[in-house]
Amino acid sequence: MGKHLTMIQLMELDACMHCRTCSSQCSVAVAFEGIPNINILPSEKIASIRALASGKELTPEELRNIQEGVYLCTNCYRCTVVCPAGIDLQKLWFDVREILLQQGFPEYLVLSPLSFYRGLMKEEIAQKNYEEPLTQAREAIAAQCDLMRKKDKVLPLTPTNKKLQSGLNLSVQAKTFSVCFGCQTCTTVCPVVGNYENPQEALGLLPHQIMHAAGLGLRDLAFGSNMLWDCLTCYQCQEQCPQGVHVTDVLYELKNLAVKQVREKTLQPSERK
Amino acid sequence: MMEFALFLGCTIPARLTQYESSSRAVLEKLGVGLVDIREFNCCGYPLRNIDFKVFLLSSARNLALAEKKNLNMMALCKCCYGSLKKADFLMKENASLKKEVNTTLEKEGLKYEGRIEVKHLLSVLHKDVGIEAIKGKMATAFKGLKIATHYGCHALRPSQVVGFDNPVAPTLFDQLVEVTGAESIEWPMKLECCGAPLWGINDRLSMDLTLKKLNDGKKSGADYVCAACPYCHIQFDKVQKMILSQRNGNHPLPSILYTQLLGLTLGIDRKALGIEMNEIPISGIEELLKKEEELAQEKALAEQKEPKKEKESTKP
Repeated sequence: MGKHLTMIQLMELDACMHCRTCSSQCSVAVAFEGIPNINILPSEKIASIRALASGKELTPEELRNIQEGVYLCTNCYRCTVVCPAGIDLQKLWFDVREILLQQGFPEYLVLSPLSFYRGLMKEEIAQKNYEEPLTQAREAIAAQCDLMRKKDKVLPLTPTNKKLQSGLNLSVQAKTFSVCFGCQTCTTVCPVVGNYENPQEALGLLPHQIMHAAGLGLRDLAFGSNMLWDCLTCYQCQEQCPQGVHVTDVLYELKNLAVKQVREKTLQPSERK
Repeated sequence: MMEFALFLGCTIPARLTQYESSSRAVLEKLGVGLVDIREFNCCGYPLRNIDFKVFLLSSARNLALAEKKNLNMMALCKCCYGSLKKADFLMKENASLKKEVNTTLEKEGLKYEGRIEVKHLLSVLHKDVGIEAIKGKMATAFKGLKIATHYGCHALRPSQVVGFDNPVAPTLFDQLVEVTGAESIEWPMKLECCGAPLWGINDRLSMDLTLKKLNDGKKSGADYVCAACPYCHIQFDKVQKMILSQRNGNHPLPSILYTQLLGLTLGIDRKALGIEMNEIPISGIEELLKKEEELAQEKALAEQKEPKKEKESTKP
């Protein structure tokens, strides 16, 4: 690890006095209230990176937590601007982020608009290293969706997974999927669907089919579709739905659920609560 | 005096400072007061894909900070605007979510009761300042300039939550563009997404969508595309440049921020507007501003017509 950071960065790690000014100004510090990973806070992140750079043996869980901590960052530069020791924290997060992403633990946050900055910086990242984490996160999710891999599998007549339906309860809007009558307006107006000659091949289930899958409780079909991660959240579908289904909001919630369940399934037994 | 808590978000101060400086200059000229709340945090937008509760908490914390100061909020970013609006909507609609969020916020002495209003810069200019008041402050105007006005998804939709304008046939932004003397052209893909939400997630798809939109604007005769959101603008500016170099294109449709466009006609210094700071140059637009002689001629012409009109109107 140490050899991938510059000499200046290694010295900067030692310059940190742990005064926590960075954490007090951090744009996403509030996320720590909902995601109990101390590495979200810049002052703690740098402490973990110091341990990492010193060659200390870290557990996969610790590494994953540092990775999540450096990714959960809007790259707003506030930490760097306020650091009294003048450490270029922003650059440090960027470099450590790329180093950790190459270690092979899927990072689901790459499938969020937090990646916009990474996209702007892509010229600084080798092309293979750039694409790899994106493919890996999608594949890790799809790997948990058996039905997507066995397309000719016969389903029971009433496959309803009640857990999926009751799981879509984060906000009242998402419950509206049950009134979908399959008119396909959402799919017709979707600019992502419209971009492909054979949309099903590229995207898997299309928006109206995802609503239907949610209604049937077919978790795997909804979670395993590229459509979910290729959604722009432009809200065309939701705006034009004649039944008032909050299509985009349902897609948002399915993404939340997919990440949550895949994380739980892939944790080491020792990490499970 | 009209006063708002200015919500800059993360992207503008870090990557698009000309949007901040041009907005401040324009709003000062138009008599809109701004209050900076340093404690504001991320609006939550980037986290919505992964964790809804964290998104809501992040957004609601900002609402609570503004409410504590009794100020309505003004966002410059459409994604911040959409997120704050959504959080405001949920906090009003869903009592149990509100309670949960407020319990967390109370740890630092905050809570959100839903007493403030969240607005986008464009609605403030259109509704609070007003077209006529803007006209009254104009120093010059554009002549022969064709603009592809880009609304931005998260301002327009979901209309039930944002209430920005008619989601199918909006006119608010077109009116604001036409105040400057420019023509806001008709273009089929006007209300489509800029492609930014997928930049960094699925670049190939993002590029396809961005190029399709920009080519549509060009084909419809636009000289520039105009946005009022950092994500849309960066997508049309820096990312367009990256796309063209990758796909060997060399005819960009440059993007100008609305505050730069309006600022030029208000006679604001080009440096404050950051005219030189866009990745794809926009300085050519200044040549389309009416010169002093033209303005003087127009004024003289208007004065000649004026007395006639008076005579006509005094007729019984």
